[in-house]
Amino acid sequence: MISRTIPKRLGVACVALAAMASVQDTHAQSSFPNRPVRLVNPYTPGGSVDIVSRAVAAGLGEIWGQQVIVDNRPGAGTVIGTEIVTRAEPDGYTMLCNSSAIAIMPAMYRSIKFDTVRDLSAIIHVTSSNSMLAVHPSVPVKSVKELIVLAKAQPGQMTAAVSGIGSTNHLTTELFKTMAQLDLLVVPYKGGGPAMTDLIGGQVKMFFNSAAAFLPLMKAGKVRVLATSGAQRADYAPEIPTVAESGLPGFESSTWFAIYGPRALPAALAQRWNEAVNRYLETPQAKEYFRKNHMRPVGGTIASFAEYHKSETARWSKVIVSAGIKPQ
Amino acid sequence: MHDLLQNLILGFSVALTLQNLMYCFIGVFLGTMIGVLPGIGPLATMAMLLPLTFFLPPVSAIIMLAGIYYGSDYGGSTTAILVNLPGEGSSVVTLLDGHPMAQQGRAGPALAIAAIGSFFAGCVSTLLIALVGPPLASVALNFGSPEYFSLMLMALVCASVVGSGSLLKSLAMVAAGLLIGIVGTDLSTGMSRFTFGVVELSDGVGIAVVAMGVFGLTEIVKNLGGPHMTQTIVRGKIQGLMPKWQDLKTCFGPIFRGTSIGALYGPLPGLGGTISSFTSYMLEKKLAKDPSRFGNGAIEGVAGPESANNACAQTTFVPMLTLGIPGSASMALMLGAMIIHGITPGPQVMTSRPDLFWGLIASMWIGNGMLLLLNLPLIGIWVKLLQVPYRLLFPIIMTMMGIGIYSLSNSGTDVLLMALFGFVGYILMKLGCPFPPLILAMVLGPVMEENLRRSMFLSEGDATIFITRPISGAFIFATVALLIVFIVPALRRYRRDIGNEAPQRG
Repeated sequence: MISRTIPKRLGVACVALAAMASVQDTHAQSSFPNRPVRLVNPYTPGGSVDIVSRAVAAGLGEIWGQQVIVDNRPGAGTVIGTEIVTRAEPDGYTMLCNSSAIAIMPAMYRSIKFDTVRDLSAIIHVTSSNSMLAVHPSVPVKSVKELIVLAKAQPGQMTAAVSGIGSTNHLTTELFKTMAQLDLLVVPYKGGGPAMTDLIGGQVKMFFNSAAAFLPLMKAGKVRVLATSGAQRADYAPEIPTVAESGLPGFESSTWFAIYGPRALPAALAQRWNEAVNRYLETPQAKEYFRKNHMRPVGGTIASFAEYHKSETARWSKVIVSAGIKPQ
Repeated sequence: MHDLLQNLILGFSVALTLQNLMYCFIGVFLGTMIGVLPGIGPLATMAMLLPLTFFLPPVSAIIMLAGIYYGSDYGGSTTAILVNLPGEGSSVVTLLDGHPMAQQGRAGPALAIAAIGSFFAGCVSTLLIALVGPPLASVALNFGSPEYFSLMLMALVCASVVGSGSLLKSLAMVAAGLLIGIVGTDLSTGMSRFTFGVVELSDGVGIAVVAMGVFGLTEIVKNLGGPHMTQTIVRGKIQGLMPKWQDLKTCFGPIFRGTSIGALYGPLPGLGGTISSFTSYMLEKKLAKDPSRFGNGAIEGVAGPESANNACAQTTFVPMLTLGIPGSASMALMLGAMIIHGITPGPQVMTSRPDLFWGLIASMWIGNGMLLLLNLPLIGIWVKLLQVPYRLLFPIIMTMMGIGIYSLSNSGTDVLLMALFGFVGYILMKLGCPFPPLILAMVLGPVMEENLRRSMFLSEGDATIFITRPISGAFIFATVALLIVFIVPALRRYRRDIGNEAPQRG
């Protein structure tokens, strides 16, 4: 008798406890956020991730009526900031805003102690931006096709600036090199600024960099922009063709910005974040802001972004292997 | 000339609105106050205060941010002079003579001459930006990797030849500095060097971490460790707050030369204030009638480098404003701020946003004036601080150091590293090793390596690239000439000394 009731009572108690817990849980989640939220940005202030994270923080702050604070934790190719979020309490109050560097990280840094796909919850793809391929005006080419012909004619002579080994523009350059079967001389710089200086000064011949950096210099005739790296032409510069249509079919590379949470983030909280960011991206001021900064708002579901994150991670790791870049 | 006048009138009409005057003042005030915190240089100060500017109209925000930038440069020299605590590379030079002056009771004149020199340099170099900004930027474009390497080789040779004390110890410190500078991620391959698996080391060891350890912490241990603990920092009587006419007369030349050096280095991306400060110091020491005064409280040793540093801080704006290219991390941050405010940086800024360009330039004069007016009365307070008993002062200094270093990249690793360098620094001090070559090598080493390797990349391994390119060749020629000028008299002296000693021995 006793032996039968105890498990039964225990069972009832468990159900009751679970019910209580879930009530508390939904209560916590429906009132989310009831204190300031921290959005970790793994770059120094003023960088391109800041352009996204500051705007998202301000937008969410308005939607939620709670302050969203951008916390810059730079270093080690975004590993430091990302690791903070993988270890954070999964309560939705500590989240990550990172760039596509996060898809490159696993193959570049062998020593990291976490798995970017397993240990993070992908929340939303915020924006994408295409880079542009430009050459110094003294290089006698007007299109990607002519550039490829010229580079083939002088193997190892065409110099291409990259801002750091393993950066998005480095891998974009490697992808270009592999797909067009070129022998380019890749010249590494510490950051985009010095690389731009040398491109304008004619010390290096070609460089993949952001539209924001190139377009003003193109208007001033200091660089010649040949193409955009995206799948489609950019709506802010429709006269510039894509690399794919002007000589290298199938080429596509973009920098994207996204939000992540810790691995154990409850689905309901992930959903709240996703909905809030989607709502922000729909506002006219978000559209205007990102257009001005040469970015395309993306948004969408959690599932679609998780899929994209996985496929980009696989793609860049393949590029890293085929380019022969040694991981750390 | 007429255009310039009109542009300046436009600039002042923007900068002199009540709102912009206020934001300029807030910028320089916050910049000075936070810049005084040890370890927090211009970059960290700007990064910390950047979010404050997001709520302002674009022009006011840029004016305020610029104010924070050069304001924190003023603040940085204060702790260097008062308590031997350099918050950044360039302050290392300031403390060499600034702190001995403070110990002799002349902290007032040291701080005042730093402010006056900075003010003069700031005004003149801002005028340079207004007059010849675009041509200065095109000079920077002619500087490729070989030119940078040759220029830095010249700087390093000057440093090792002009340095005083044991040559062997100086060279050992240069080597140590180069090795510390190697720590981090290798630029050309992405491999980690000397990081021992510590993720925080993959971006290298910060200059501030080492400088504060070997100068600041070592000084504290030295003061506490003697047979009689230091009572107060001032050993002599406090001799007035303002420099005497004699001091000003001595400093006129150094301030002028420092300004020229800094203004020339500024537009070259990646060089920065530290190298211009060192160059100015070495030049003043070489020109001085009695070089032995340097290191023992020579006021020229404060005036020259401080002017060079501030001139450099102003002309660093040139590539950013005229081309939209950041020459340093601080300028990259400024550029980011402009983008966030919806201003597209680039060559068009001068014509499409003349209000911003000329408003900023006008605000730099106003801001430098405000800084002078702000800093001179503060001297009295700072000097009072020196009379605080040392047993009360040093825990405060150490707390501030911890906060400052931690906030550089919000990382506890940096604080531990600083402590380690404090320990190492104490041993090195006991062995009589000089620290400035260590810091200079740490600053120059990575930049030299980067440019050497890139030059060799571009020339496909042909080392003659350094001689065949005209600007680079000129630097190499000058380096060789300097070596001859410096070494021949030294050798002659050495021979004469041997000649004098020989008979005595015999």
